[in-house]
Amino acid sequence: MTTSEPTARGEVQAWSLSRRAWRSFHCAWLLLGALHCTAVINGVSGSGSGDSTSSTGSGTGSGSTGSGSGTSTSGGALEDFSCDSSATPDPGPSPLRQLSRSQYLNTLQGLFKTVPDLSDALGTDTNYSTTFGLIQADIDQVQIGGFQAAAEAVAASVVANTDSLQAVAPCASGADQRGCAQSFVQNFGALAYRSPITDPDDIARHMAVYDAGAKVSHEHGIELLIRAMLQAPRFLYRFELGTSEKVGNNAVKLSPYEIAARLSYVIWDGPPDAALTSAAAANELSTKDQIDAQLTRMLADPKGLSFVQRFLQGWTQLASIDGLVKDATLYPEWSAQGSTLEASEKAQAQAFFDDLVKNQGGKLDSFLTSQTVFVNKDLASFYGSSSSDANFSPQSYPQASGVLSLPAMLSIQAKPDESWPIYRGKFVREELFCQDLPAPPPNVPKPPDVQPGVSTRERLTEHETDPTCASCHSMMDPIGFGFEAFDAIGRYRTSDGNQPVDTSGSISMSDVDGTFNGVIELGQKLASSETVRECVSRQWFRFTTSRYEQDMDGCSMKSIMDAFNAAGRSLNALPKAIVESNAFLYRRPIEVGQ
Amino acid sequence: MTRKNSRIITEIAPIDHRTVVSRRRLLGGMSALAVALTSPIWRSATVFGSDTNAKPLRRFIGVFSANGTIASEFFPAGSAPDTPLTADILGRILAPCAAHVAQMLVLKGVDMVSTVTDNLGQTTGMKPGGPHMKGPGGMLTGGSLLAGSFQGAGGPAGYADRISVDQYIANTIGTKSAFPSLEFGARVAGGHPLDTISYRGANEPNPPIDDPGQMYSRMFANSNLSQSQLTQLIADRQSVLDFVVGDIQSLETKLSADDKSRLDAHLSGIRTIEQQLTASSMSCTPPAKPGSYDSTDEATFAPICQVQMDLMLLAHICGLTNVSTFMFANADSWQYYPFAGVNEEHHGLSHSSDDDAVSVEKLIKINVWHGQQVNYMLDKLAATQESDGSKMLDNTLLLWGNELGVGNTHDYKNIPWLIAGGSSYFKMGRSLQFNDLPHNNLLVSILNAMGFDDTTFGIPGCCTGALPNLTA
Repeated sequence: MTTSEPTARGEVQAWSLSRRAWRSFHCAWLLLGALHCTAVINGVSGSGSGDSTSSTGSGTGSGSTGSGSGTSTSGGALEDFSCDSSATPDPGPSPLRQLSRSQYLNTLQGLFKTVPDLSDALGTDTNYSTTFGLIQADIDQVQIGGFQAAAEAVAASVVANTDSLQAVAPCASGADQRGCAQSFVQNFGALAYRSPITDPDDIARHMAVYDAGAKVSHEHGIELLIRAMLQAPRFLYRFELGTSEKVGNNAVKLSPYEIAARLSYVIWDGPPDAALTSAAAANELSTKDQIDAQLTRMLADPKGLSFVQRFLQGWTQLASIDGLVKDATLYPEWSAQGSTLEASEKAQAQAFFDDLVKNQGGKLDSFLTSQTVFVNKDLASFYGSSSSDANFSPQSYPQASGVLSLPAMLSIQAKPDESWPIYRGKFVREELFCQDLPAPPPNVPKPPDVQPGVSTRERLTEHETDPTCASCHSMMDPIGFGFEAFDAIGRYRTSDGNQPVDTSGSISMSDVDGTFNGVIELGQKLASSETVRECVSRQWFRFTTSRYEQDMDGCSMKSIMDAFNAAGRSLNALPKAIVESNAFLYRRPIEVGQ
Repeated sequence: MTRKNSRIITEIAPIDHRTVVSRRRLLGGMSALAVALTSPIWRSATVFGSDTNAKPLRRFIGVFSANGTIASEFFPAGSAPDTPLTADILGRILAPCAAHVAQMLVLKGVDMVSTVTDNLGQTTGMKPGGPHMKGPGGMLTGGSLLAGSFQGAGGPAGYADRISVDQYIANTIGTKSAFPSLEFGARVAGGHPLDTISYRGANEPNPPIDDPGQMYSRMFANSNLSQSQLTQLIADRQSVLDFVVGDIQSLETKLSADDKSRLDAHLSGIRTIEQQLTASSMSCTPPAKPGSYDSTDEATFAPICQVQMDLMLLAHICGLTNVSTFMFANADSWQYYPFAGVNEEHHGLSHSSDDDAVSVEKLIKINVWHGQQVNYMLDKLAATQESDGSKMLDNTLLLWGNELGVGNTHDYKNIPWLIAGGSSYFKMGRSLQFNDLPHNNLLVSILNAMGFDDTTFGIPGCCTGALPNLTA
């Protein structure tokens, strides 16, 4: 079982806000001690240390799978990452990855022309992936059962009629059916496993499945093969065994097929296409130039066009807006039957990201300060205009400041019935500064009650007079206050609790310390922050490598940051930067476990 | 809310497991739903009958609800250590269960100390996880959370550090049923320590399913097949699983220890699925598939609870499993309860001051609603007849617990424990008060009642043996 280093692999799991974004974080942050908060800034947050006295001998998260936690890398300055360019490359750990739900479905789509609806078979997706870089939990039996049901449904649909069967497993009339099956194993297997099947024992094991099914019929033999191959770990996980070709002491080259799969799953969130597979077969994925050429091709593909957008959606936790609850009395336009406001806010964010990448050069400055907003029938009233169109059109809005005024983000980072500066400040601190906040204390009081005629800010300010609270909340609340011109659904407002909103805020413990007023000034501060720029690189690394950056990633991180800055802090420079990094090109040699 | 319409079991009819009727014949004359309501029919000569010599208690149901209780309305009044439980001394929260007082034990003074105790039994503030997070991990494990980076509820922490009592039980009494255990829930998506009370072992969460459609498919998959079709399916699946096992074994020789352990977990899941194959000779006619619910939708909480409870009861009635757990939302629950007259968020409410009578009343209403749900389970278990003529409730041990005793102080003392069911081992029908005993002792007592002779469970240092004065 999995009692060996359970903690190491569980270390960096975290909890997506999906479906839960409106939960009550507030009380968890009310009594943080000053000591903890200072520690974060020094990059030594205590939150990762934890208990190691459990009976299972849990270790800390620095194992070979790269389970270093975010806390160990939080809030550091640029010099945290040193790159000795003369040293041999160190790609860092490459933990085994199970396909995400979207990767799984995209892979099926790549293998079969039509895929039946699998939502029933697979059930709810509990493998949250909106937080970047987290180590995956072990698969559980519900997931395994889901993959079994899905494989059976897909296989049944393939053999349901002759055409679809011939398309997947061709066999000419009169041909040796077992020979056809073996060809199928090798041809289909190469695609399903993203690597050729050549080992005779391996082929024989597949054929044993066919033979069992062929007792009924050839078609049933193929059906069983499809079921089996779609439940094979080689299909469900991405194995990267590497080659024997060393690149210094700490790295080996990946096989061309492994490179092809890295490229496709990272850039497309799906399987390699025929061109990638051909390139792998011809061993044309071994130099940076060859990989760059594929990257260029892949980014031009519609699937590649959404690469950076997917990053932005994940970074801003956009998926958390699905099912977000707002108070029906205060925000009927959100909760009413048939309301599309929630969907529109999500689509608006996507339109903004799309425009940012395509028309604004993917600039970080635009991400933080753009005054272009996208308006449709649900959101026109937010901007004092009117529209009857469900589609979005751009408009300039003087109160806007990029992502900071994006209604979707503001709705997610709010409570059901009010704006919540703590969430918004926490979002800036954690997501944009990459500074992790420490664990809250075990015992916390109830937050101040909502009172008519008293603004959210007032109630929080009142609470902040307690020095115990203030020590930590000074890291979040004063930033969050800058967002007070936006209510719980992200709509601009000028009063709260019958009083004019006060949007004055301040930032501390950063490289852009000082006061500001409102999101526009906050956006300017953030856009000028080296820490924020570095944070972009960190987040990008976590997004693309599915793990946290660690000490050995200095050269990988530096190459990403340099490319980002050299391109005028453009997110569009990030794809090339990551595929050229050591972390992407190589893996560490495997020490086979016991 | 349309609770009534969402029920699968719409009438309480005594169910006689001795009835053996051709399933096909029944299907011809009745709707599948009606069949399930009145008489689960074994696919073949019932295997259940061979179980009649088993230990008296052969079913375990663990029930979880969140955010602590209102002690004055959960625990019967008075400070006597041992009080006969009668309907008139029940507080409002347990009053809905009044019909079952003779088969209930209310335990006060049993504390969830394992969540804050080191291996030597010393209290420590160093255990990972916030107060709401610790509880679900400790409730059935008698352990605590591993270090980890789950955030959001006062974390960070990982999953629990050891096996839970339901799984420990299932390892023995769950080996002949299709499912060693089934984990139910509503609005508890899985994927977080807050969402999980059942553990196969350290860092091996056994997450609940909160989507009735998914659970239905899991429970009753392929139940429309004929015996020969089923035989073929079992053979097919066995071939496929053998292949997958072979694939895992050949891969594991090439992987690092960490990656290998992930495949080990996969392998262990495959073994569970294999058990479903070998045990699938026992089944009953499934009801119609429940309508689809958006399990992420706040408003569907009550109807989903209803359907999920019905499915859980059917799982026991149909012999699909002998062990189950049910989570009414995750720990730290932020459910709204408009159907109970409380249109406010549970966790936020639970931090109200004791002086805040309006909020306390709302919390009572929420917990009364949970009491009603538990009573629904008890009613159905009492109405179901086993093959030996006994009531299913007589053979069941139901444990209802919580991650906290009191919400507003995050007190892990005085967890609102209710034991209900089998009366042969415990002397039921009492309200007992202990002097701050660890809940590990309660878990030992549960094991003893289930026929295990264990003397300790969970963190050894905080277990001092079975709870005193429970047995008949």
